[in-house]
Amino acid sequence: MRLSEVPTPDRELSRKAAIVGLGETDYGDDYRAQRAKAEGYVTPTPESLSILAFERALADSGLKRSDIDGLAYSFMYGGPDGEELAQILDLKPRHTMPVFGIMAGPIPQACAAIAEGKCDTMAVVYAVATRSIGRKFGGRTYGDEGETPTSYYYHNPWGWSSQGAHWAYVWQYYRHRFGRREEDLGEVAMQLRRNAIGHPQAVMQAPMTIEDYMGARFIVKPLRLFDMCLVNDGGVCLIITRADKAKDCDKTPISVAGWGESRIKADKLDGLVRKQLRPQFQDAGGQALTMAGLSLADIGHFEAYDASTMHLINHIEGHGFAEPGTALDRFRDGGFAPGGGLPVNTSGGMLSGSYMHGWNHVAEAVRQLRHEAGDRQTPGLQAAMTSLAQTDQVHPIIFTRGL
Amino acid sequence: MRQKRPDRTLGARHDDFWGWCEKGELRLQECATCAKVLWPVMQACDGCGGDTFSWRQLSGRGRVVSWGTFVQDYYRGLLDVPYDTILVELEEGPLFIANPDGFNEAETEWGMPVAVRFVDCEDSAGPFRLPVFAIATGDATALGE
Repeated sequence: MRLSEVPTPDRELSRKAAIVGLGETDYGDDYRAQRAKAEGYVTPTPESLSILAFERALADSGLKRSDIDGLAYSFMYGGPDGEELAQILDLKPRHTMPVFGIMAGPIPQACAAIAEGKCDTMAVVYAVATRSIGRKFGGRTYGDEGETPTSYYYHNPWGWSSQGAHWAYVWQYYRHRFGRREEDLGEVAMQLRRNAIGHPQAVMQAPMTIEDYMGARFIVKPLRLFDMCLVNDGGVCLIITRADKAKDCDKTPISVAGWGESRIKADKLDGLVRKQLRPQFQDAGGQALTMAGLSLADIGHFEAYDASTMHLINHIEGHGFAEPGTALDRFRDGGFAPGGGLPVNTSGGMLSGSYMHGWNHVAEAVRQLRHEAGDRQTPGLQAAMTSLAQTDQVHPIIFTRGL
Repeated sequence: MRQKRPDRTLGARHDDFWGWCEKGELRLQECATCAKVLWPVMQACDGCGGDTFSWRQLSGRGRVVSWGTFVQDYYRGLLDVPYDTILVELEEGPLFIANPDGFNEAETEWGMPVAVRFVDCEDSAGPFRLPVFAIATGDATALGE
C-alpha cells in the first residue's frame, strides 16, 4: 500500500474504531515566540512537537502508556523513523507504520490496521516544523516527497508554479462565471479570522476588516496574502482504538464512520479550474456517506482543507452544501459561521488557525463532536465531515459522536 | 535579446514539442488510438492509455479562460515580478498555460480570442522558442460549462 493510499470504503469498517485521545501543540504561542525571537526560545523539532502532542493525547484519553500497541507517524518535511519515535515516546508498539502527510490516508489506514488485528490502540502522530526550517512553496525546487504532481514543474518556462497559482486561476474563472467581486472572497478570510480569534491557540488573533483584506499584498493576483494559508510549526496526535475498547475511555469516543477517495485521472486543469473538482467531491463524498450510512443533511459541521479561501468554496459547493456560485453569499450572511446553518472551520482552519495539513481540521471536528468547543460549539452535533482536497484529489472523512 | 526562463522539462517526446516550436509551429500529441489531443506532453495517453502519437499541427487560436499575475517571486529573481500568465483553451480542446504577448492583465477579458506566436528564450539547456499568445480578432465569447 502506498503511504498515502486510502483503504477502499467498506461498510464493514464503519465505526469499528474511534478517536479517544487528542493532543495538539500550542500553535499560537509557538508562532508568537518564534516571531518575537525571545531569549531562551528553542526552535521546535518534529521530535519535540511529537512528544508534546502525544503526551497530551495520552493524558486526554486516560489510557496507560502500555495500552498503546500501535504507532503511525507522518513527518511531511522530515523526522525520526518509527523505531526512533517509539523510543522517544517510550512506547513498545507491536505494529508501526509510516503514513504520508495528510489526514485523509492515515486515519482510514489506522482504522484498517486495527480492524485487521495488527494492533488495538494506535497513536497517530503528525508533526512539522514548516516555519522553522524555512520551507518554501512553489518555484523550481518544489517537491521532495516524491508524490508531487507534474503540473508543478511543467509550466515553469512560462513562470507558472505553486499551489497559489492554481487557486488564483480557479478564482479568476469562478468570479467571471458567477459575476463575483474581489471583495466577495474577503468574506471567507474575515469569517475564518473571526473563528481564529475565538480559539486561543489559533495563530492569527488580530481582527481583519475588508480594508485589511483588500489592502494586503498580492501573491498571485487576483489572490492576496489573506487568501493563502499560514506557514507555522506544530504537531497533532490522535489516539484511535477498537470500538469495543473505546467505551472504557475518559472522553466520548468519536467514531470514524466513513471515508472516500476520488482523483482526477485526466485533464487536470479543466477539472480544477472549470469543474472546481465537483465530480471528485461528489464521488468521494458519496462513498463516505454510503459507508457511514448517512445523508448529506445529517452532516452538522464541516471542516475542509483551506489551502486558499477559494479552495474552501470548492469544498463547500463541491460536496453540495451550497449550490455552485452561492457559497460566498452564505459566508456573508453568516450561514457558515459558528451557530449558523453549517459551521465551517470553526477554529480558524489553515487560513487563520494553524497550517497542520488538515490534522487541525480533524482536531476541531473531534472537539466539536465531544461538545467541548466552548463558545464556538455547534449545538447538539452528532456527525461531522472533514474534507481534504489537493489540486487533483478529494478525500473526505465522516466522524460521528459515540459508538 | 533572448528572455531568460526557468527550465523546460526535456526528454523523450518533450524534445519533439520544443523542436516544433523552434520551427514556429504549435503541435501537440494526438493519440493514434482515440484521437485525443494531449497536453502536457505524455508518454501514454491519459484518455485510453495508448502510446503511439502523431504531432498534430494546431490552429494556434484559442480563448482566455483564466489568468493570474505572479507578484510573489517563486523563481528566486530569475523572472522580474510582477508578470502575467494566462490559461488558454485551444480550439482543439486542451487548456494551455502561457504568457500574454502585447497585452496585460488589465486588458484581459474572459473569453477573449488569442493566437499563438513565438518569442526567443533561453534556459540552462540553451536557446528555445516559447509559445505565447497575442490578442486575435473577434469578440470575447461567453464561457461556461
